Amino acid sequence: MTTDTLEARDKQPVEAEWTRPGPVFRPDVDVLERPDGYVIFADLPGADETSVDIKLEQGVLTLDAQLPTFPSESWTQVHAEYRSGSYHREFRLSKDIDAAAVSAKMRDGVLELHLPKSSAARKRSITVQAA
Amino acid sequence: MATTHLLRTRPTRAWPDVFDELRRDMDTLFHRYGEGPSARPRGVFPPVNLYETAEAYVLTAELPGVEAGDVHVSLQGSTLVLEGERKGAGSPTDASAHRIERPTGSFRRAFDLPAAVDGDQAEASTRNGVLMLRLPKAPEHQPRRIDVRGQE
Repeated sequence: MTTDTLEARDKQPVEAEWTRPGPVFRPDVDVLERPDGYVIFADLPGADETSVDIKLEQGVLTLDAQLPTFPSESWTQVHAEYRSGSYHREFRLSKDIDAAAVSAKMRDGVLELHLPKSSAARKRSITVQAA
Repeated sequence: MATTHLLRTRPTRAWPDVFDELRRDMDTLFHRYGEGPSARPRGVFPPVNLYETAEAYVLTAELPGVEAGDVHVSLQGSTLVLEGERKGAGSPTDASAHRIERPTGSFRRAFDLPAAVDGDQAEASTRNGVLMLRLPKAPEHQPRRIDVRGQE
């Protein structure tokens, strides 16, 4: 596992031991920065809002999703191109993020995370008034 | 467009024009996501699994971020075509991308099903970014129960 940082693109290895069964996948993400904050899109096909767990602790945002076993019925698999399992990825957040204002939503298996910048970090334009 | 044989029971047919079409599609797809800082080569999109039950084939495809209206499924004989478009997050001009890993663009895949299916009874649904297609087998491929009669 690696930790992604929103400040730089260097990846850092993170030791992780898995206590749950099944494969764990690192979801593909897009990370965008806007003047007022960051937006992370993560591909989590098969996951819904109840299966996603997001934690923010000591500047590290941890994304976990556990999928229900599929298929539940006893189907015979005749062709396989992908496997289902859990998702896990960590992001080291820059210090300018307002942790209390982080929000998330799921749509069509894509998680959209909004990480607003703290008001101190936003660029402000100050109007100069005539005296 | 290349056909993916879902069971290797038939010889692969040479379809040169079809391969050219696929190559163009793939070039488009890879070009679009080759722009990102951490782009890496990947297999075809979308990945699919095929399951078989006594009465039907069930095909699932991972299509995160693709709405039901943006994927089209067609069936001719035992050839299934899956096509559509995966739109990007729609990066507004005031956003700068730190990392782009999620592929966007149009996709088109064809599959040669192991046996004929009853297209009229086929059902398709999307849920949480996973497409599920239920393709009942054609009547001649359905399991049939034959009663054994004793001599009268």
